[in-house]
Amino acid sequence: MLGKLSWSAIPFSQPIPMAASALMILGIIALLGWLTLKGHWRYLWVEWFTSVDHKRIGVMYCVLALVMLIRGFTDALMMRSQQALAFHSAGYLPPEHYDQVFTAHGTIMIFFVAMTFVIGLMNFAVPLQLGVRDVAFPTLNSVSLWLNAAAILLVNMSLVIGEFGRAGWLAFPPLSELKYSPGVGIDYYLWALQISGIGTLLTGVNFVTTILKIRAPGMTLMRMPIFCWTSLASSLLMVAAFPILTATFAMLLLDRYLGFHFFTDTAGGNSMMYMNLIWAWGHPEVYILILPAFGVFSEVISTFSGKPLFGYRSMVIATMAICILSFLVWLHHFFTMGAGADVNAFFGIMSMIIAVPTGVKIFNWLFTVWGGRVRFEEPLLWALAFMITFAIGGMTGVLLAVPPADFVLHNSLFLVAHFHNVVIGGVLFGAFAGYSYWFPKAFGFRLDPRIGKAAFWCWTIGFYVAFMPLYIVGLEGMTRRMQHYDVAEWHPWLIVAAVGAGIIACGIALQVAQLVVSIRNRDKLRDLTGDPWDGRTLEWITFSPPPHFNFAVMPNVTGAEAYWGIKQKAIQQHRLMDLPDYQPIEMPRNSPTGFIAAFFAVVTGFALIWHIWWMVIVGLIGAFGTFVGFAWRNRYEYELPAAELAHIDDERRQARIALVEGREKGIHKVEYSETKAHGSRKVGWIEEPHGGHLGPATKRIITGYGFWIFLLSDFILFAGFYAAYAVLAHATAGGPTAVKLFDLRILAIETGCLLLSSFACGLASIAANARNMLWTQIGYVITGALGLAFIGLEVSEFAKMIAMGAGPGRSAFLSAFFALVGLHGVHVTIGLLWLGTMMAQFWAKGFRADIMRRGLCFALFWHALDIIWVGIFTNVYLLGTSP
Amino acid sequence: MSEHEINSAGRSHGIDAAPGDPETAEESVGEGVRNYLIGLGLAAALTIASFWVASGTSLLYVPGVPMALAALAIAQMGVHLVFFLHITTGPDNINNSLALALGVLIVGIVIAGSLWIMYHMNMNMGVMPPSDM
Repeated sequence: MLGKLSWSAIPFSQPIPMAASALMILGIIALLGWLTLKGHWRYLWVEWFTSVDHKRIGVMYCVLALVMLIRGFTDALMMRSQQALAFHSAGYLPPEHYDQVFTAHGTIMIFFVAMTFVIGLMNFAVPLQLGVRDVAFPTLNSVSLWLNAAAILLVNMSLVIGEFGRAGWLAFPPLSELKYSPGVGIDYYLWALQISGIGTLLTGVNFVTTILKIRAPGMTLMRMPIFCWTSLASSLLMVAAFPILTATFAMLLLDRYLGFHFFTDTAGGNSMMYMNLIWAWGHPEVYILILPAFGVFSEVISTFSGKPLFGYRSMVIATMAICILSFLVWLHHFFTMGAGADVNAFFGIMSMIIAVPTGVKIFNWLFTVWGGRVRFEEPLLWALAFMITFAIGGMTGVLLAVPPADFVLHNSLFLVAHFHNVVIGGVLFGAFAGYSYWFPKAFGFRLDPRIGKAAFWCWTIGFYVAFMPLYIVGLEGMTRRMQHYDVAEWHPWLIVAAVGAGIIACGIALQVAQLVVSIRNRDKLRDLTGDPWDGRTLEWITFSPPPHFNFAVMPNVTGAEAYWGIKQKAIQQHRLMDLPDYQPIEMPRNSPTGFIAAFFAVVTGFALIWHIWWMVIVGLIGAFGTFVGFAWRNRYEYELPAAELAHIDDERRQARIALVEGREKGIHKVEYSETKAHGSRKVGWIEEPHGGHLGPATKRIITGYGFWIFLLSDFILFAGFYAAYAVLAHATAGGPTAVKLFDLRILAIETGCLLLSSFACGLASIAANARNMLWTQIGYVITGALGLAFIGLEVSEFAKMIAMGAGPGRSAFLSAFFALVGLHGVHVTIGLLWLGTMMAQFWAKGFRADIMRRGLCFALFWHALDIIWVGIFTNVYLLGTSP
Repeated sequence: MSEHEINSAGRSHGIDAAPGDPETAEESVGEGVRNYLIGLGLAAALTIASFWVASGTSLLYVPGVPMALAALAIAQMGVHLVFFLHITTGPDNINNSLALALGVLIVGIVIAGSLWIMYHMNMNMGVMPPSDM
């Protein structure tokens, strides 16, 4: 009934996890009690949990990240103190617990702090900077957030129920295989990350579509703020890289749950393939994190230097170059695995080349500061510390990119120091810069600058004290992840490092204090103008906090640095823009879909981890039902009348007038100068026409394009499985080969079925566009019938092979075959479920625009399955059986 | 596409098309069916050619078979893209085909890179021929 779950899953005998979980549970109970007592539940549910407002979603992401930062940092403190104590002694953490601590630390810090924080900032700022009202798919955005929260919940549950993984933050096989890790730790890790991975992928799809298709009129690509560019690059990488992670984890899960042999030691499995695939995701992931941080620094440095960004175009080119190059360096994570000189040389050189665009960026920032009127506010301090720290981390990175040097340094604390150097000094400082920079925009008051600066100094000094010693012990030969050691030279350095971690702890405590004090003193720190930093981009033109529709009228962008231009013009002419013509606008309604879907994701994930199969089915049906319920709704938008908008906007214009006339306290007087500032861009106020961009695309284009981006990520998912198949195709382990197994006559019928069903689907699309219900339904019925026939043939083919003893457990070749072809079959099955609900919708609601958009997406999906099948039937079946 | 949507600024967009929508908005039913029929015919012909190539015909140089299969597969994927998914090189499709280009690039890098790396790994590791394991 409860699978592997029993009372023994709760670690009563281990005091540290028990104390930590007791503390956590008490904290949660206290929080829930306080919320109930104060009666905040309704407010939270209506205004936050069901919100599809990108700003609120962004804020919730950041809250999650800050909470998980404390959890992940607790792990860090435990490791540093363990290593400070464990000289000639066992320390206080037993090895199996220490292994969980470093695994949890890495996993949490990358996925649930860095990723979550960066996505939160993107959510908050990108639509505002683009001058639009929301992202492309607001409800999907909420689904992403809650899936991420679901994964966080699962990871934290492992503290109380069961255990977490002990195989490091990337769970390398064969250690992570069932044979060596029979517990539930790896399963917690895998399912949590699969769930959050889906959320991240959907975020990527959402932001690529938003940035490319929904921008204010006149906001051409080359007028976008740099943060939008880096968010675009980061989102593209999410779309391109996360499917590889999903594929890799899916293979490991198949190994663990169904006895496949992708990465096992036996039956032809190859664990090196796991390293190859996971780093093909892992390196782009580094840039998913750092690129938006680069964007934040660009905005901050330009704003607080009072100058346009130096070398805007080179910044754009460097960003997009990194976006592509990041896919060509992944082998440098396993130089020592033995690919040989040719391969190592190629990837070593590529790794050094990718440092070039990064160097370009550093110089751009330096030249932006140079000659500027620099204001040393908290965000700028983070940016300056970043430039120095990241340059050091970058240089040790280039050193590690030299294969011979890597043979000496790999797996040592030198490496650990290097990546903390770039992740803390780059991503985390970037997140903090963005946090203090956009906080007044999000909440309407600034963070206390004095405590903020103290926190900044603790973090910066603490970072150097904690990690410079690790470079030294790394050079002295200390490997990473050591629970105890007996080399006397290392000991003092590790004590220093522990002191550094203590200084960082002070920094975190000060950040908490800063938040509390700022909320208390919010009236003194209030931002009344909406533009507390003398900003240059469009988020500063609206209220702080912005109304849920962001802009009463979409700003008309006439040049680079859209807001700066508008502001300069207003200051020069001592008047605002003419009163705009207010039009009613449509906003998406809030929806609990994300929250409910995430609830079922937790149920499914938990049930899978503990092998509670009935609960898995309940969870999956619940999730499917949630989406059908969502798709079935009739009202998904509401209208804001023009009069209300005009009324709200009037308040904003009053604040603007105060700003322009310099009456407000705390406004920096802005002087307009005819001469160009240092930097290569034109001063933004010069009026240019709309530059060919007329504003957001139609809903049909937005939906179709978003789904197209999703399909591309699906192709990459298949590429991961196909790569595994191609590598393992000859690993038959003495079992049957392709020639003996594949029946080409059945293959021909299967292919025919799919081709004809694609044709029928095309006819249904034509009939739907011509508003002919009968032929639409007939076309879809034929599509579905042929799809069913295909699935039936495939299932019988699989059953026959398994009956012959040629199941996926027989050899690595068969594992890869079943996984690849089965994945296509799963897609067809999902397509059939989708088709059924869509036909019912057409029947019940007619050719409504939103259902027509779904028809378009379904057609794309169904035709894309053909394309994938073409790859499979030629390169798997025919190639396998050809002479 | 007979549905004529107008964006919130009140201007329709002639320079951009949704992926999957036919090239000309005012395509008649007959033209639409004809396009799908051409696509089906070409796809069927290429499928038959693939089966024929793999059947061990003596007309083909045997080591060339994998290359021929790959070429036919790519050609057929192209047919599906153009005739079924309506992804073209037209000016209204630039965004769609650029996205596809990125996808193809990544697919190529993942597959070719993995094969190249794993070939060298296996060779240098002195792995036994996998069929003997």
